[in-house]
Amino acid sequence: MKEIFKITMSLTAVCIAASLILGFVYAKTDHARKLNEERTEQKTIQGLLGFGSDEKAPDDLKIFPVYRYVITSPQGETSLGYVLPLKGDKVVLVELDLSGKPVRVIPIDASISSLADQANRDNIINGALPKGSKSVWAQTIFVADRGGKRLSYVVPGVIQGFKTFIKLMVSLTPDFTVSGVAVTYSEEDPGLGAEIQKDFFRNQFVGKTLDLIKKLSVVKEPLPADYALSLDPVKAKQKGLTAEQVKEIKTKHLNDDIYALTGATISSRALTKGVVNTVQKFVKRLEILDEAIRKEQLSIAF
Amino acid sequence: MNRNVQLLWNGLIPENPIFRLALSMCPAVAVTTSVQNGLMLGLAVIFVQVFSSCTVAIFKSFIHPRIRIPAYVIVIALWVTVIDMILPVISPEVYKQVELFVKLIVVFAIIISRLELFASKEPLIPSFFDGLGMGIGFLFGLCLIGAIREFFGTGQLFGFDILGFNPLLIMVLPAGGFFVIGFIMAIFNWIEYKLTGKIPTSGGAH
Repeated sequence: MKEIFKITMSLTAVCIAASLILGFVYAKTDHARKLNEERTEQKTIQGLLGFGSDEKAPDDLKIFPVYRYVITSPQGETSLGYVLPLKGDKVVLVELDLSGKPVRVIPIDASISSLADQANRDNIINGALPKGSKSVWAQTIFVADRGGKRLSYVVPGVIQGFKTFIKLMVSLTPDFTVSGVAVTYSEEDPGLGAEIQKDFFRNQFVGKTLDLIKKLSVVKEPLPADYALSLDPVKAKQKGLTAEQVKEIKTKHLNDDIYALTGATISSRALTKGVVNTVQKFVKRLEILDEAIRKEQLSIAF
Repeated sequence: MNRNVQLLWNGLIPENPIFRLALSMCPAVAVTTSVQNGLMLGLAVIFVQVFSSCTVAIFKSFIHPRIRIPAYVIVIALWVTVIDMILPVISPEVYKQVELFVKLIVVFAIIISRLELFASKEPLIPSFFDGLGMGIGFLFGLCLIGAIREFFGTGQLFGFDILGFNPLLIMVLPAGGFFVIGFIMAIFNWIEYKLTGKIPTSGGAH
């Protein structure tokens, strides 16, 4: 009997020691990790817009975040709240009911840049809402604006992958053609599912219009060699393909479905479904939001 | 030969985790579609193996012998998680490359078997060198398999095109991994047979 106590104590001590170390490390690294994640997010957005290491973003390019909140009123009714930046660095919260009709417009007393921190933003939004309402952050959409014209939308999405969630970002042109797909988080198996992050797979989505996206599916066929070459900019350069040739091959294969990765059909399907869902939901939401903005005659920043 | 050097050498060839001990075969097949992948996973394993071996070697007298296995699992999980938290702060670029591999390591058979067979009986310094040797041996094995599979499967090495065509696509598929490991293992056994004249006994795969 005494033995079992000793064993219990010993194992408990090991667990407590391990958790203390983990807690200490977490507390020390949490802040820096979040900063790094934000920086990576910004980099991903810039990359999706086509501005990376070789091409610097122009000065008149502005990226505005639009925060979507789910609001529950004291009566238990659900509505949606969009935090929109207005011209002149003002911010409003537009509350829409589930059918898309604007309920009210609440001015927010903060600048859009000060709302970047989520804890701070949640407090401000909750404070601005009528007493008893609850709000939960749902999504942040980014709108890139250049010289007063919408350049593109960057929409984050999430989907169930092979093991855990795949987080992705899709950039769309104003007429809802996919201009880029990035995987921001995934735990797919290296060498198999993790290949979804590679250029030759992600770039298959680029150029697909909304009509094509709506009926997009995955085929278990090998990727045609010329198409594979044109999707990977590094390899295309090595082979000496000109920009026109790359464009020609891409146009030829524009109506193709997504070619599944060998040995990773589930991951390929997951990312495809993720992109399709993200785009479709976003297009619907933006339609409703733009309609509401027109009705309320808001002069939004983008 | 100095014992520490011998321990290092031991992990690299005579007791190579993949080809001689036949441990951690799952990652050895799944991950090694390219040299790059093998290198990243190998580096991550070296760190976790060395840290875990040292921790167990220091604290072995505090761990009750009847709960040593769960305690070892906690030690390994602890180091994996610590590396997973610290690395993105120190170097986000490197972390992006090894992120997926680090999280796989908790369940590797090679690490817990070295803790059980070596670090729980030996003092700190030999444990360190045993862990380092095993880690390097694992890295060597992964890179060797990865190089063969990448070269024959895609005609590349380290992502650079060498042949310009795919000689044997099957090599990058899971079946190719089994072929490559089987052949290398056979070569190791053949060398041992030539050197000692004895037919090698088979190790149990995990």
